Amino acid sequence: MDKYTLLALAIFIPLLSAFLCYTFNKPWVRNTVVFVTALIMFAVAGGFVYYLIHSGGKIEISLESLHLPFDVGFIFKLFDFLLLAYIADIGMKHKKPLIVFLSVLQAVALLVFELVGSVKEPHVVFVIDYLSLIMLLLVSVIGPMITIFATGYMKEHEHHQHLEKSRQPRFFAILFIFLSAMNALVMTNNLSWMLFFWEVTTLCSFLLISHDGNEKAVKNGLRALWINMLGGLAFVFAIIVIYNALGTLSLEELLRNRMVSAGLLPVGLGLLCFAGFTKSAQFPFQSWLLGAMVAPTPVSALLHSSTMVKAGVYLIVRIAPVFSGTTLGTMVAVAGAFTFVGASAIAISQSNGKRVLAYSTIANLGLIVCCAGIGSYVALGAAVLLMIFHAISKALLFLCVGTIELEIGSRDIEDMQGLFKKMPFTTVIAVIGMISMLLPPFGVLLTKWLALEAAVKLPLVLICIIIGSAFTLVFWSKWIGIILTLSFHAKYKMEKLPVAMSATMAVLVLAVIFTGVDISMIFNAVVAPFLTESLKGLPETVLNGTNGLWLVSESGRMVGGFSSFYFFMILFLLFLLYPYIFRSSKAELWKPPYLCGANTEEDFKGLEFNAPADTVEHVIVHNYYFAGAFGEANITPWANFIAGAIIMIMFGVVI
Amino acid sequence: MDIVILKDILTVAATIILAPIIGGLLTGIDRKITARMQSRSGPPILQPFYDLIKLLGKERLIVNQTQMMFALGHLFFAVAALAMFMLGQDLLMILFIMAFSSIMLIMGAMSVRSPYSKIGAQREIVQIMAYEPVLILMVVGIFLSTGSFMIRPLFSDMFSFGKPLLYDLPLVFIAFIYVLTIKLRKSPFDFSTSHHGHQELIKGITTEFSGPQLAVIELTHWYELVLFLGLITMFFARPVWIGIGIALICYFCEIVIDNISARMTWKWMLQATWIVGIGVAMTNIIWLYLK
Amino acid sequence: MGLVKKSRIKSPWVLHYDCTSCNGCDIETLACLTPLYDVERFGIINVGNPKHADILVVTGSVNKRNERVLRNLYNQMPEPKAVVAVGACACTGGIFKDCYNVLGGVDKVLPVDVYVPGCCAKPEAIIDGIMLAASKLEEKAEALKEAKAHA
Repeated sequence: MDKYTLLALAIFIPLLSAFLCYTFNKPWVRNTVVFVTALIMFAVAGGFVYYLIHSGGKIEISLESLHLPFDVGFIFKLFDFLLLAYIADIGMKHKKPLIVFLSVLQAVALLVFELVGSVKEPHVVFVIDYLSLIMLLLVSVIGPMITIFATGYMKEHEHHQHLEKSRQPRFFAILFIFLSAMNALVMTNNLSWMLFFWEVTTLCSFLLISHDGNEKAVKNGLRALWINMLGGLAFVFAIIVIYNALGTLSLEELLRNRMVSAGLLPVGLGLLCFAGFTKSAQFPFQSWLLGAMVAPTPVSALLHSSTMVKAGVYLIVRIAPVFSGTTLGTMVAVAGAFTFVGASAIAISQSNGKRVLAYSTIANLGLIVCCAGIGSYVALGAAVLLMIFHAISKALLFLCVGTIELEIGSRDIEDMQGLFKKMPFTTVIAVIGMISMLLPPFGVLLTKWLALEAAVKLPLVLICIIIGSAFTLVFWSKWIGIILTLSFHAKYKMEKLPVAMSATMAVLVLAVIFTGVDISMIFNAVVAPFLTESLKGLPETVLNGTNGLWLVSESGRMVGGFSSFYFFMILFLLFLLYPYIFRSSKAELWKPPYLCGANTEEDFKGLEFNAPADTVEHVIVHNYYFAGAFGEANITPWANFIAGAIIMIMFGVVI
Repeated sequence: MDIVILKDILTVAATIILAPIIGGLLTGIDRKITARMQSRSGPPILQPFYDLIKLLGKERLIVNQTQMMFALGHLFFAVAALAMFMLGQDLLMILFIMAFSSIMLIMGAMSVRSPYSKIGAQREIVQIMAYEPVLILMVVGIFLSTGSFMIRPLFSDMFSFGKPLLYDLPLVFIAFIYVLTIKLRKSPFDFSTSHHGHQELIKGITTEFSGPQLAVIELTHWYELVLFLGLITMFFARPVWIGIGIALICYFCEIVIDNISARMTWKWMLQATWIVGIGVAMTNIIWLYLK
Repeated sequence: MGLVKKSRIKSPWVLHYDCTSCNGCDIETLACLTPLYDVERFGIINVGNPKHADILVVTGSVNKRNERVLRNLYNQMPEPKAVVAVGACACTGGIFKDCYNVLGGVDKVLPVDVYVPGCCAKPEAIIDGIMLAASKLEEKAEALKEAKAHA
């Protein structure tokens, strides 16, 4: 198999599956298509890993070598305008002048750009390096897994909805188009093609968010659409500005530059970052991602983990080496760090599980953006690692919450008390997922640690990350505490889940554990080559991945580091001890919780107590939510205001 | 290489064995001093050990099957943090491992359906939120002063005189001592597990842990105590005995504070720690930047 | 085993429950905590939580309302455990013995190990009672073990 086949498979196999899913509305056809596509996409991802390592870390595919009988560039442009027309039509249909305005403006800007000067398209149209590879792996491994989960989930979901006619063909078709566009987006080298794929993901996310078709879904979908169209507009202007500054649309040539303080290039980069901010739902653009929670769970899982929001941070991490160490970089870092602390603070006040996850996603994306903005070796390493770990953990957590929601009919954290009894399998997996978002030795925390060690030179960013990570600890540990609450039960029965759902969760949780244990391997295999390639020749503190991650300063001195392996051993030891503890906890040793001696006679769980006048009252304990200090309504306006100001300052600096 | 590994293993083994002895004795001395301050004669110095052994010999009551696992997790990660400290590892990571240990206790306390234990756990979370930023700022200050996150260089020439870390970080040290009061569960910050059980919170976070489970948690406190005194020592590490002496003096000050203050509310603590703790530590760090 | 035995005697943690005491005995019990008597020299701590306690100190007579609570508290204490009845009312019901709602002394409900007489009981006597109960803990632990072996 050569690189052309791989490329074609990565982009067209999902498209073909989309077509098949859309045409054949038979569950067994759909399930087979989803499963086979998943296998092919895994294989393609594996093929890329193999091919990339054997071709020296970079695959380049030029337009000529494709031997296409027609002008691809023209077709893309055509599609681009068709897409914009379609989006404008959506805006018209739902009476949203803003969306019409944004799409027309984009179309006009593109038209002027194409007509005024004859645009020189780059020869090399696809470049796959290690960063693309990481994104490819995330999209082509986690994406299909979520689709497999969706086959089980959507059946239950539509069962709850009582639909006349299944809308699953449409749903799966859009999912696959989404994956195809993501795959293409991370491989392309042509900025104007990237714009096209960028807009395809925008459209797909609108279609998926509004999939259920009720008023709320459409409203939130439209919000996602206009915010991302705003980003798209910034992208168009960025293309125009960068072309005028450098005379090329090739991402690779752009990366060969080091940013100078003046000129057009910084403005272009700033606009690209702006586009990335909208897509990654950074403050003040976070509202679309929160609204996206109305969509069926697989959609949220996909949007939050491997696709959509990751496209935004991918773009920023991609161009980060160009503005590394400049004022623009610092401002991007400040914006990201502010989003991190703001989103984490609001998450504390949320009792809706999905919203907590959403804010946590926004916070983590903020941290990735922040690391990209800092742009040093360690910071970029942290950004890329966080992209990987966050994608896996968050996909897992969304699937867990979706499963829990199907079972208990609520996504409120307070309703998840005693979940372990009802669904031990999902609970254990969810807890591992949450711990992996919050505690060492799992990957996400390690990246937070790297981010802190990288941010030491920027006090403002540093204090934001420090306070943000304290907040993170609060909202996760509250939630973990709630779902682990249980009384004594002699026996536990596993819940019955569709195989597609339980298998996906099991595989993802194993992925969380293995990537956590083998962080050095991942770092050495894919992250380190990317870092050395993109930051060549800068003397600074680097990361070394032998048995853990170690920071080595330019003088060769080890200045920090951690070997997570031993700590996984401790966790493993605890898990080994657990069966013994479980067995030695006999029923006769079981006592109810202390309720000042007022436990009722027959209640051994501590759910009731004898109240005055011989009545029986229920014991109700809620978590602290600090609504006064961290309430969404209190913080959001201020946070948006400050974040807006930061973006203004960012542009003020570059212009 | 082998000798280095052997040395590391011996260090870890010695830590695991000696730390609880030191921690237990210090706790005993703490209780004795506290008693003397209240003009009582107080329990014998070995009292904490009697308590521990008695608890280990008690019936293993349970409220659910997972409590013991969380208690053990609390212990294991505290021991791991102390071992990392003795091996001179990354200070920031030590803090995160300590946080894991605390979260384990919180999970254990929240795993039972007991209002007292749950409220204690919530308050413990608030405490973590209060002190964690200050501790991280301390590490940042140490990095700015020494250029490394590893502790090993701090103790590398522990028997020779030199410029102590305190010289660069006086305000950070004050902030650290301030949050240490929270970490050691001393008044005015003993609101996640009150000293005196016959109050509104009963025993807070430890209410539902009994017998051996409570013994494990007690043991963990001893390890933590040694780790904190070690962290104080770090600020004066040249030569090391001065550091140890000053750590003991600081511990004595904590006991005095414990005895002269009443329990405050968590809101007050959060405000005080963030404004005073973070403010003071940041002031110090900003001047290090400008230097 | 000697170490555990010694530790049990040296570290009796107390749960103090006031059934229907007139508060006389309670004041004397709490007086034991003051610097004058300083029970902590014997390792005695008033823990206020049955899950941590070794010895249940009861003052006042038992009535129909609080019998349930008394049993519940005793039930939540881990073995080995002992009960000390402090004061005339706790020992026998005292002057309230014949009240319509009073069941009598603590021994009507729980197995009492040590009776501390007096109205009110003197702090010295209370301390003596608790220490006597502590020395009985080992015996009780042995008895429990044997009962378990037989069962």
